[in-house]
Amino acid sequence: MKEINYWQAIAEALAEEMERDETVFIIGENVQEAPFMATRELIQRFGPERVMDAPLSELAIAGATVGAACAGYRPVCDLNFADFIYCAADEILLKAAQQNFAHAGKVNAPCVFLGVAGGGFGTGPEHSHVPSAMVLNNPGLKLVLPSTPYDAKGLMKTAIRDNNPVCYFFHKKLMGLKQEIPEDEYLIPLGQADIKREGTDVTVVATLYMVHHALEAAKQLEGKISVEVIDPRSLEPLDMDTIIESIKKTNRVVVVDEDTQRCGVAAEIGQQIMELAFDYLDAPVARVCSANMPVAGAEMEKYCIPQVEQVVAAIQSVCY
Amino acid sequence: MSNLTNTDKIELYRKLVHTRKHDELNVRMASEGKLRTFYHSAQGHEAIGVGACSVLHKDDYLYPHLRGHGIPYVVGKGMDPKPSVSEHLGKATGWGGGITGVHIVDKENGIFAQGGTIGSAFVLSAGFALAAKKNGTGQVCMCFVGDGSVQRGQAHEAMNLASCWKLPVVWVVENNLMAWFTPCCDSFALKNIADMAKSYNMPGKVIDGMDVFAVREAAEEAVDLARKGDGPSMLECKTYRFRPHSEGRPDVCHYLPRSEEEIAEWKKRDPLVLCQKKLVKEKILTKNLIDEIELEADEKAKETEKFALESPYPDPSILNTLVYAP
Ligand SMILES: Cc1ncc(C[n+]2csc(CCOP(=O)(O)OP(=O)(O)O)c2C)c(N)n1
Ligand SMILES: [Mg+2]
Repeated sequence: MKEINYWQAIAEALAEEMERDETVFIIGENVQEAPFMATRELIQRFGPERVMDAPLSELAIAGATVGAACAGYRPVCDLNFADFIYCAADEILLKAAQQNFAHAGKVNAPCVFLGVAGGGFGTGPEHSHVPSAMVLNNPGLKLVLPSTPYDAKGLMKTAIRDNNPVCYFFHKKLMGLKQEIPEDEYLIPLGQADIKREGTDVTVVATLYMVHHALEAAKQLEGKISVEVIDPRSLEPLDMDTIIESIKKTNRVVVVDEDTQRCGVAAEIGQQIMELAFDYLDAPVARVCSANMPVAGAEMEKYCIPQVEQVVAAIQSVCY
Repeated sequence: MSNLTNTDKIELYRKLVHTRKHDELNVRMASEGKLRTFYHSAQGHEAIGVGACSVLHKDDYLYPHLRGHGIPYVVGKGMDPKPSVSEHLGKATGWGGGITGVHIVDKENGIFAQGGTIGSAFVLSAGFALAAKKNGTGQVCMCFVGDGSVQRGQAHEAMNLASCWKLPVVWVVENNLMAWFTPCCDSFALKNIADMAKSYNMPGKVIDGMDVFAVREAAEEAVDLARKGDGPSMLECKTYRFRPHSEGRPDVCHYLPRSEEEIAEWKKRDPLVLCQKKLVKEKILTKNLIDEIELEADEKAKETEKFALESPYPDPSILNTLVYAP
């Protein structure tokens, strides 16, 4: 085992895959210096042909990614902020997502769209969102949301090898998070949830930084309420089986998600729970999400995105 | 420029000094960890916002570039830069009520919006100019962007549309040779951005962005064209940023440190120094006046800091009321 932090885990996965497969390359703005760390120190190893600093042109970067992917490469496109997926929406939502379907399965587009997501630094609108629901609303795209260094590495390797476009959003607040991971190569399949903490009274489903809010809430409630925390790790594909198994045991569930509440991830998971496990529920499904407003910056941010106290309160509200 | 009085010239110098002092204040407060969000220093860029905005009327529309988070532009236009620091502290007295910690807005003075995604400036400013044209009152829109913005598709869609519709917009490109860590030489197929204007059948000029008088003169000409109904133009002001892209970030080109010689070379042409030298040579500025302006700008910056620190935070209960206009 070795200790590694979150961004190093992503960079290590990229390096291993670039080493293994010559068709993998990175394209994006400032990916050589990598202000968001994920591609840091790769330029020294792989050179500018495979770690390409591009012009400030999200559409061209994303479109070139999709084009090269169709023609046999496995590019990783760094969007910088996940919010900037909107700047490249045509090429990611309409082209990458629909490539395989719209061409009768004859040409697919295997690529990864990397974006740093979420709040926590008061960076304000256009720089603090986790645009998950928008991705999920475009079938054809997969969505990976790692909450730990171990997951970040194993999921990135799988995402690169996947034959479809995968959005991979990592979280600003997790950059320095450290964890022991195996020395040897490992992959984590997409669509396999991880039970981050076992419990018996209530199930909390969360991804990305919200996993850590859930774990913190579980700790605060220790001795009073036994909380099980489930991290789906990818939302497409989504492992509902693990969530349902947990609910059969706890009969109560809270979904925590950093995307906007309205028409969001929690609404989708909540509805699926109703369809698949209604008879096991002892309380209505509760959710804690970002408020139905843009994410404010500076001091006002905390009123827009989920806080640990809200998770604690939601858990208590279903444990009557 | 011949029409500039000595008072006008001193005023331009005064605005440069005020801009620099306020920028230094933000840089210091960023280093003290007091500023929320980012700060992109305008040091090196001052002559552009100050020179070009000084030709605007109060009712002209203005879209500032991110450098100095509005300060060079509002000072150039004759507005008070006070709310900029408040906004960065997330205080209710900021431009945007402290809601975002960055955005500038001042409807009275023709500033409607500022975006967080580079490139939007081009298309939004075409819209402001469309409104200006419909108003029929001779208003123009002046929009400041970096070289990076011109790499976005929006720039080209906006230039084409504005040229077809003869919209009264002046795009001032602050070409500092870098967008974040990526140098223009690796992002542009052309040497001069201004040459792109030709493709859209509008005037494009290369200007010395360190020379406040050159910027002002070129801006005056472009604004006159727009006011007359002759449509958009582009001014490419060659400049240099003296500090890292934003405070606290490494100062690199791609992934290697920026050349110290290059920085030193450009600092010899510091816009404040150039302006001061010229006006001293013309015997318009005296040592006394220089000291007086310096002192006044220091005082003003202190006042801004005090105002920002003492201002209250917004009441979070208003957030919900802001999502939709009443
Ligand atoms: C659409 C978009 N892409 C990327 C960014 C991140 N970003 C912020 S400033 C910047 C560089 C801007 O360069 P330029 O326009 O030349 O202005 P300068 O900072 O050099 O003054 C980048 C890449 C952004 N804010 N928006
Ligand atoms: Mg630039």
